Amino acid sequence: MKQPIVLLLAAVVLLPFVVRPAIASEIWIFAIFGLGLNLLLGYTGLLSFGQSTFFGSAAYVAGWLLKHYGINTLLALGIGIGVGAASAAVVGYLCVQRSGLYFIMLTFALNQLFYFTAYQWTSVTGGEDGMPGVPRPAMLGIDFKDPLIYYAFVSALFLITLFLMKRIVESPLGKILQAIRENEVRAEAVGYNAPRFKLLAFVIGGAFSGLAGVLYAMLFGIVPLEAISFVFSGNVVFATLIGGSGSLYGPVIGSFVFIWLSESMSTVWARWPLLLGVAFVIVVLFLRGGVVEAWHKVSLRFFK
Amino acid sequence: MLLETKEITKSFGALTAVNGVCLAVEAGTLHSIIGPNGAGKTTLFNLLTGTFPPTSGRIIFDQRDITGTPANRIAHLGLARSYQRTTVFPAFSLFDNVWVAAFATGPSWKGLLWKSANTYAEVAGRARQALADVGLIDKSHQLAREISHGEQRQLELAIALAAAPRVLLLDEPAAGLSPEETRRMVALVRSLKGRYTIVLIEHKMDIIMSVSDRISVMHFGSLIAEGTPGEIQKNPDVRRAYLGGVAA
Repeated sequence: MKQPIVLLLAAVVLLPFVVRPAIASEIWIFAIFGLGLNLLLGYTGLLSFGQSTFFGSAAYVAGWLLKHYGINTLLALGIGIGVGAASAAVVGYLCVQRSGLYFIMLTFALNQLFYFTAYQWTSVTGGEDGMPGVPRPAMLGIDFKDPLIYYAFVSALFLITLFLMKRIVESPLGKILQAIRENEVRAEAVGYNAPRFKLLAFVIGGAFSGLAGVLYAMLFGIVPLEAISFVFSGNVVFATLIGGSGSLYGPVIGSFVFIWLSESMSTVWARWPLLLGVAFVIVVLFLRGGVVEAWHKVSLRFFK
Repeated sequence: MLLETKEITKSFGALTAVNGVCLAVEAGTLHSIIGPNGAGKTTLFNLLTGTFPPTSGRIIFDQRDITGTPANRIAHLGLARSYQRTTVFPAFSLFDNVWVAAFATGPSWKGLLWKSANTYAEVAGRARQALADVGLIDKSHQLAREISHGEQRQLELAIALAAAPRVLLLDEPAAGLSPEETRRMVALVRSLKGRYTIVLIEHKMDIIMSVSDRISVMHFGSLIAEGTPGEIQKNPDVRRAYLGGVAA
């Protein structure tokens, strides 16, 4: 149990020396996003193809307030978490009424609704050009303009959210969500209102997505239209599945692989998504537990 | 009467699966429901446990009208059921299977989001007791999908017990069991007699006759007889409908 935490702390410290601090920050931000998704995907068994709805909404709202009203960083994060949770409450409420394929299509369709709203509402969102000029205000005298300091801030928040998610999945709620995933009929029969618990998972996941969205906007100083697009929703599903949706750390590893590959390969090989495609096929066909399962298999073979 | 149905009817389109059934279960007894396949026994259970609401009629539990109460509220009222087709949490350990049921009806959901699931001593105690009652305590760390069919039937029962219910609704607990496993299941059900009010659906006549206090017989959705095992065995309508040529 201690082993992953030690590895993770080492990764947090060493990462900015291996890749640019901005990319290092992006990895942990995407990991927060993935943790939020995985409460739905891995623990509750709900494939949401609309997570960028919450990520993007939070990024736009908090980014806009940062830009035009000069609100402070902490307030921006709070608002982002709130917007993420609130948008997830609305979307989740509609989606949990259905299950299976209809559920997935609803998350996707509502994502498209938010996307086209952002696309059309150019006076606020900048449409296709995105919303530039999102500042990174100093907090308590600490200047976040320095990429390394902002990295430290992001990774501290990442470790906090990871700790929170660990508490949540080990709490009764974590067990109940997994029980709903395993057998919804029985979960209802033993006394749980499944739609209500699914909605709760949406709201918590939405809050995580919202936090990630604001950190992303502050990192790049812009909210690009992609931040609310279905491609972005797909990417986080993709990354989480590659990392392993069955465990707490899966989305963290997935984010690391996904962002690192995309940032390092995209400069040398324009067709790099091919590699991701291959990785995805391997995971789906042979390694349903993703990198985490592969690691377990390897460590069992060599270290036991 | 602890549990009663009043003229309860359930229609699926043109098919009336349960037709004006008046069932009365006295507290502390074991009341069996028998009848040929398709007689409407499981549909009656589904009505009692809120899987779907009745087309007409009422369900009274402990002098309270519970008609139309959804399934997830029924457990909190003190009614727990088992399923004819094994319905457990396959990837969970046996302990977690019963823990989830025990927590649902536990004294408080305080700390739902942030307290570790291991810190609920009362819930864990009830979960272990349920596993011990069905004889699975030694396997509590095995996964539900890895135990035998017979053991899964016992687990099925343990999940219902973990809720500490007042009424146990058992839907063919011996379904698909070997003669030896059936004997054990009968002993188990008998050991629960008196501790709970039990409503039992069963096909195997030897089980029914030996454990029941009262028996209701269903046929084509209707109740055609009710009485003690002795009375039911002598009832000519029952022989015609259910026992047919075999017992005649």
